[in-house]
Amino acid sequence: MSPKIATLAARLDNLYEFDREPVTPEKLQPWTKFAGMFAGEHVAATEFVIGAFFVLHGVTARDLLLGLLFGNLLAVLSWTFVCAPIAVRTRLTLYWYVRKIAGPGLMVIYNIANAILYCILAGAMIAVSATAVGLAFNIKTPALTDVFPNSLAWVLIAFALGALFTLLAVLGFEKLSRFAQVSSPWIFVIFIAGALALLPRLGVKTDFSNFWEIAQTKIWNGVAVAGQEKLGFLHILFFAWFCNLAMHIGLSDMAVFRYAKRWTYGLFSAFGMFPGHMLAWICSGIMVAAVGREMNPGMMAYEAAGLAGVGGLLLAGWTTANPTLYRAGLALQAVTPNWPRWKTTLSAGAATTILACFPIVFMKLLDYVALYGLILMPIGAVIFAEHWILPLFKIEQYRAEKRGWTINVPALIVWIGTLVAVFLLPIHLYFKWLPGYGIALISYTLLAALGRKEAE
Amino acid sequence: MASPARPIYALLSLLSLFVCLLLPVLRFLGRMTADRFKFGLLFASIAWFVFASLWAAAAKKTEKR
Repeated sequence: MSPKIATLAARLDNLYEFDREPVTPEKLQPWTKFAGMFAGEHVAATEFVIGAFFVLHGVTARDLLLGLLFGNLLAVLSWTFVCAPIAVRTRLTLYWYVRKIAGPGLMVIYNIANAILYCILAGAMIAVSATAVGLAFNIKTPALTDVFPNSLAWVLIAFALGALFTLLAVLGFEKLSRFAQVSSPWIFVIFIAGALALLPRLGVKTDFSNFWEIAQTKIWNGVAVAGQEKLGFLHILFFAWFCNLAMHIGLSDMAVFRYAKRWTYGLFSAFGMFPGHMLAWICSGIMVAAVGREMNPGMMAYEAAGLAGVGGLLLAGWTTANPTLYRAGLALQAVTPNWPRWKTTLSAGAATTILACFPIVFMKLLDYVALYGLILMPIGAVIFAEHWILPLFKIEQYRAEKRGWTINVPALIVWIGTLVAVFLLPIHLYFKWLPGYGIALISYTLLAALGRKEAE
Repeated sequence: MASPARPIYALLSLLSLFVCLLLPVLRFLGRMTADRFKFGLLFASIAWFVFASLWAAAAKKTEKR
């Protein structure tokens, strides 16, 4: 191993030292913890944007409901049959399992990629919250097609909010996490309250007798707004499925499920998916339709629920940007020479704040979510193949660890090769990950088999 | 030993959350103006944060004991 990579890997190892050992039986958690954690984690500021975007992309009511129903079901099944079984068998975090399978060098690269992706995601959350603050100062929200900031005032607001969120993340991550736990049920209620209060504006009768008709004609009417691509059933199904791709197929939720008593605890992810990624998206769709199909989350929240709505949007952004900034800072600590945690969080926050000034981070959020999962997915496939498929073909497992490889070259080739292959595939961005996952599984198994022959 | 105030905070916070849900129902049924709904929601929301924070703090104290 080169001395530089060895130093970086050693630094990362120290950071994650506390969870190096597999979880012991007495530390296993009851199912209620998993249900509660999922319910709290999947109602974020971005939900205000995602559900609204489905309306602007001309999704029909039937496509939306069926797409969300089946897509979220597939996401739950991915947690249950892909992520949770590996986590329960190994009782390790993804970090240590990637290190064992792909080598410390590739683990460092994976961590840095993750940090960059986290920063962009936190940037989107800050930008969404900035629309709420912008409302108070009568600042025009960027247009759907804007890539760059449309005014100095927008930059100042995004910058100020980013700086504030970063400062709070630096000052006390744990206290904020506890505050986030208090906030999450209320944020979910605000989604429901906002949508319900705006239904009369759309003409829904108090007995709900015309709700489906209004849903089909005034909310999800199948007409995309100018400049937006029309999405259908399969797009929604795939979006709901891959929205947390990095967590289930990408296996980063091994960190959570290693505490599960049984792999079937993966089913409790339904407590996050169906309220957060179904009901909250439906609610934000209703809200955007009621405010004239204008993508302005701040205005939408204010019109729907007044100052409580604006507060909900700000808190949803803050409470979800906070752990994202923390994780990005943690990932960056490997490549920053002896920097304390506050300094790396501050650096991640500075990068995130700059990104938040660019409206493209939330105006193209759906595409970014697709890319985020896609980029990390091949490593999930490598882990899956190593864990389940290699033993089936009697191919030696964990060669990187046993032979002290810095980088498992086949894993790196599969990661890069899969990404190149999927970007060349002439299909919609949302559908690319699924054939990509197949490509990664097959190619890694083949490369591992070739490696075995060479060794013989 | 559990803090004696803990169930009271729990009850009050759940009550606040229930009010946050009840108000939009009343607004939807036309029993409340938009301004009253928004003011009521803000008030119930503040109540939720106050009582839920006290509830969480009391629960933490109990855990420590």
